[in-house]
Amino acid sequence: MSTTGIKLTIDQREIEARPGETVLQAARRNGVDIPHFCYHDKLSIAGSCRICLVKVNNLPKLQPACNLAAAPNMIVETNVEQVQKAREDVLQFLLVNHPLDCGICDKAGECRLQDYQHKYGPAQSISRDPKHHKRKLHDLGPRITLDNERCILCSRCVRFTREISRTNALGIVERGNHSYVEAQVPGQFDDPYSDNVIDLCPTGALLSRDFLYKCRVWFLQPIRSVCTGCARGCSIKSWKRMNVRQQHMPGAAPGNAAYRTTARENPAINGPWLCNKGYDQHTWMSRERVPHPLVDGAPATVGEAMAKRLLSTARNPAVLVSTHASNEELDVLQAVLGAVPAYPHRDWLPVAGEVVEDNLLIRADKNPNRRGVVARFGDQEFDPAAGHDLVVVWGEVSTPLPLGATRWIHLTPFGTPSERPAAVVLPVSNTYERQGTFTNFEGTLNAFEPLFEKPAHAQHAADVFRSLAS
Amino acid sequence: MSGPVFMSFPVTATSHTLAEYRARGGYAALERALREMTPAQVGAQAKASGLQGRGGAGFQTGLKWEFVSKDAPVVYLCCNIDEGEPGTFKDRWILEHSPHQLLEGMLFAAYALRVRHAFAYIRGEFDLPLRRLQGALDEARAAGLLGENVCGSGFSCDIVLHRGAGAYVCGEESSLINSLEGKKGFPRNKPPFPAVRGLYQKPTVVNNVETLATVPWIMTHGAAAYAEMGIKKTPGTRLFGVSGHVEQPGLFERPTGYPLAQLIMQDAGGILGGRKLKAVIPGGSSTPILTAAEIEGLTLDPESMTRAGSMVGSGAVIVIAEGTCMVRLLQVLSRFYAHESCGQCTPCREGTDWMNRILERIVAGQGTAADLATLRRLPTGIMGNTVCALGDAASMPVVSFIKKFGHEFEHFVTHGRSLHDGRLAP
Repeated sequence: MSTTGIKLTIDQREIEARPGETVLQAARRNGVDIPHFCYHDKLSIAGSCRICLVKVNNLPKLQPACNLAAAPNMIVETNVEQVQKAREDVLQFLLVNHPLDCGICDKAGECRLQDYQHKYGPAQSISRDPKHHKRKLHDLGPRITLDNERCILCSRCVRFTREISRTNALGIVERGNHSYVEAQVPGQFDDPYSDNVIDLCPTGALLSRDFLYKCRVWFLQPIRSVCTGCARGCSIKSWKRMNVRQQHMPGAAPGNAAYRTTARENPAINGPWLCNKGYDQHTWMSRERVPHPLVDGAPATVGEAMAKRLLSTARNPAVLVSTHASNEELDVLQAVLGAVPAYPHRDWLPVAGEVVEDNLLIRADKNPNRRGVVARFGDQEFDPAAGHDLVVVWGEVSTPLPLGATRWIHLTPFGTPSERPAAVVLPVSNTYERQGTFTNFEGTLNAFEPLFEKPAHAQHAADVFRSLAS
Repeated sequence: MSGPVFMSFPVTATSHTLAEYRARGGYAALERALREMTPAQVGAQAKASGLQGRGGAGFQTGLKWEFVSKDAPVVYLCCNIDEGEPGTFKDRWILEHSPHQLLEGMLFAAYALRVRHAFAYIRGEFDLPLRRLQGALDEARAAGLLGENVCGSGFSCDIVLHRGAGAYVCGEESSLINSLEGKKGFPRNKPPFPAVRGLYQKPTVVNNVETLATVPWIMTHGAAAYAEMGIKKTPGTRLFGVSGHVEQPGLFERPTGYPLAQLIMQDAGGILGGRKLKAVIPGGSSTPILTAAEIEGLTLDPESMTRAGSMVGSGAVIVIAEGTCMVRLLQVLSRFYAHESCGQCTPCREGTDWMNRILERIVAGQGTAADLATLRRLPTGIMGNTVCALGDAASMPVVSFIKKFGHEFEHFVTHGRSLHDGRLAP
């Protein structure tokens, strides 16, 4: 950072702006809240919502703080009467055609328009005009639905597809009061990052079809988590019911459903963004679990004892180490492993139809902690010809392993079908049920916390290894 | 030397051609300037003449040219032919009858600003002006007045004709630039101003047709001669388009400082059918309206107009005779602005439509006193808070109509009908 800060006054407070900063940015960094709809840190400046108008140097005309470069000795007022009136007027204008349907709107509770209306808005509308009616529940694509009546045309979503995902998939068509957001190919908004626009939307105009009407957001709590979809390991929030609430999603075990996944801002890894696979984490984390320990395909309570016996009789065992394992689990394995050779295991490979790799976030390696595994056990691939007579496979097997006739023990959270069943299958906990860290492909550590208790039949993999080693 | 800048020749079927323009002495000044003057000298002449922009804002043209950095490697010039202000029809006359005058002016400006590519942005609704301008461009190109090496001087400049798609807001310079770039005609936030970052992010000068078409006269007769015409502060002549309830509506070229009453009562033949004057919108529909009493002694120059609380604007004088319903008239204007708001920024997008709906209701006889109060309040939330001037343009008529003809509005909301029966008073 340059040492030549720009000294200016915001609301009688001397603050220092960095060169090139706008008044809005400097104010935010110094804890002064200037309301804004269309401004976003990572998007270009539109300057169109006009709620960030502030009084500058006592000029009669208000200036938009988002497009105003901080200048030395500038005197900015964000709370004088003229500014308050302008904010009231802007909110009045935004709400003249905005439906008063917060009661059935998924965004309610985390809606910028709602927040600002409560904080800055006029107590009563002066409008007695019937509201304009526009298309509601208009599907932009398979994942996102648009309520045109709620849209305030801030163009954040449009700028996102232009500047971040670079698909240009959205645009604003028509003019003036009749303009609306539309997908380039109507109904086919299939940008791999499309779900970010739901979070970007300052109102309830863009809604996730997956989360639609599932839960009021104030019944949910976000848990700091990490996406396991690829080697990027993006920071996410996994949202579950708050403990005090007994209601649960139909079909899900009480308390054990994640309702949605959103991005958690992390400048070191993903910025504020997340790909659609990440937004879907809670759906693919609800795959079928292994219900019991299995011995030769049949449920058994002696799974661990069997595994112990097999291991003790094996001449040359090997371990395939899960690249979905946390660094802490890997440390336990490393401590108990002794001379047994270990190889990294690819739990997941890209599946058909998935974006393999791009320049924004998505990585070709679909496992979150390969780097952590390689750092501890090397990157030598498992060699079927090495003469191992027993292989402990830790992690899901998404593609058949080259095991030939070798017996194998499988530690897995999910019931992945396999061509040839393992001699012993031991259910273990999944990422939602443990805490730890992943090392992403760039070497950045990212910690995650548990959402739920592990099911009674499953064990933490680290405990299994300690027990097998004893 | 004084005299008309534009209306110096009899309009005939061929007066727009290159041959006739040359016969009137056209392009002689350009050829001489290209031989004898430096770009800086041309710019200095324009500045010395005191010429002001004729699009409505009235900014000093020479000053506008000066703002462009002398070190910029690429500078663009745009001629704003998006003449869409209701009541205005001066640029169209220039294009239809003397398009070469505009081209010569553009070449002067291009020479002064070192512009290689200039653009003429013409409104989509223009048909004859478009054909005349295209014809003039073809003639000029064939005669070596455009393109590589103009008149053998080593100076090269080409003019690209671009047709708009019918948006009033594209007459605003930054949305004109966006439209030229192939984008939606949304005005840009300022700063940066076009003189710093305009078309394709390069310094750009956007000038009105009448402004540019005046430059050849200045170069022919000298800046001093131009500065002598009209009043001292804002010299020259202006094209005034008089329309509405007058006997002889039309375009009149008059020096600045010309009495407004004389323009209406004598030049335009007085009020239709010998009726009484009720009001005048003096500079295009966005300028505040003046009552008959207010125009007494008023002259057509910025100072006098500002004193009366209005503007010369684009020189479009709309005359309204006694008997006209001001509520209905305002509704017509507000419908226009609601239709033309680009929809980018909140106050204008929502406000213009809201004002129009209230006026529609009042005109339908359904208005209330509360509506009138809302109508008084809404412009205060729009004016000064928008990206471009369209919000102000839409608000000013509302403010001034209600202020000056409030009793008509009150009558309409209390009785559910107009104070006037729609026929002009005898």
